Amino acid sequence: MKKVVSEISGTVFSLPWLIAKDHGLFEAEGIEMEFVRSRPSGAVPHTENSADVNPVLGHVTFEEARVSIYRA
Amino acid sequence: MVRPDSPHSYPGTLGNRPIAVQFHAGSHYVALRLLEGYLPKEKLKLVHYGSPQQRFEAMWNGEVDACLVMEPWIALGEKLGCKALCEGHYLGAENASDDMDEATFAAINRAVGKAVDMLNADKRRYLHYLIDDPRYAAALTKYGGLTPDDFHLPRLRYVKATPYTDEIVEDTYHWMVRWGLISSAACAANLVDNRLSEAAAAPVGD
Repeated sequence: MKKVVSEISGTVFSLPWLIAKDHGLFEAEGIEMEFVRSRPSGAVPHTENSADVNPVLGHVTFEEARVSIYRA
Repeated sequence: MVRPDSPHSYPGTLGNRPIAVQFHAGSHYVALRLLEGYLPKEKLKLVHYGSPQQRFEAMWNGEVDACLVMEPWIALGEKLGCKALCEGHYLGAENASDDMDEATFAAINRAVGKAVDMLNADKRRYLHYLIDDPRYAAALTKYGGLTPDDFHLPRLRYVKATPYTDEIVEDTYHWMVRWGLISSAACAANLVDNRLSEAAAAPVGD
């Protein structure tokens, strides 16, 4: 089995991935899939300037190379 | 989306009114793409509120006039009588790291593609993922909860992954430059690397 770690963010965006894992579709392809939740933003300062917000958002695990794939 | 008692009935009256989004995420970009058809740029007052729950509650509590949300918050809002003033879809992306090999990427896409087929064959069967998500469940319950009957199923659109076309990349790049979301010095061809997705989408033996 090839181990792959994927970030999961909004459930609506990752729905097929969740189904694939729960129904053994990754395993059938020889993939051991592990999900890591994106980092929640928590309390955030409200701003009208988009430059005030880091565009990486919750995809910190990808930036830190702890997951190898994510969707956005 | 706006509150049930909101005076807004279409996007054209939202000029200079606060609208909750998450900057640099889908809600931000979809808001720009939808509202620029109704309002001049200088009248768009988008405010970063973070997660969809934070955006929804800012709208519900009256802190902002409107919010951009996705499911299951659209279903919840409509159940509560909120008004959807406009609605849009966007194309998602699978972003893989440099060390992802083609065979693994293709295997992942085959598995996800089969799941897309299952989902499209019976969307209602999988709504529990949205309703029972531990991150949302408590908040949804606070507002009365959701059942599968509360969802408009055609809104949930899932397709199998295909490579971005050069035309989509170019069009999106120029749109982002126009809105100041990316430097014009950046080169579109250097921003999207389709090696894996093109290989995964290629017919066997190609």
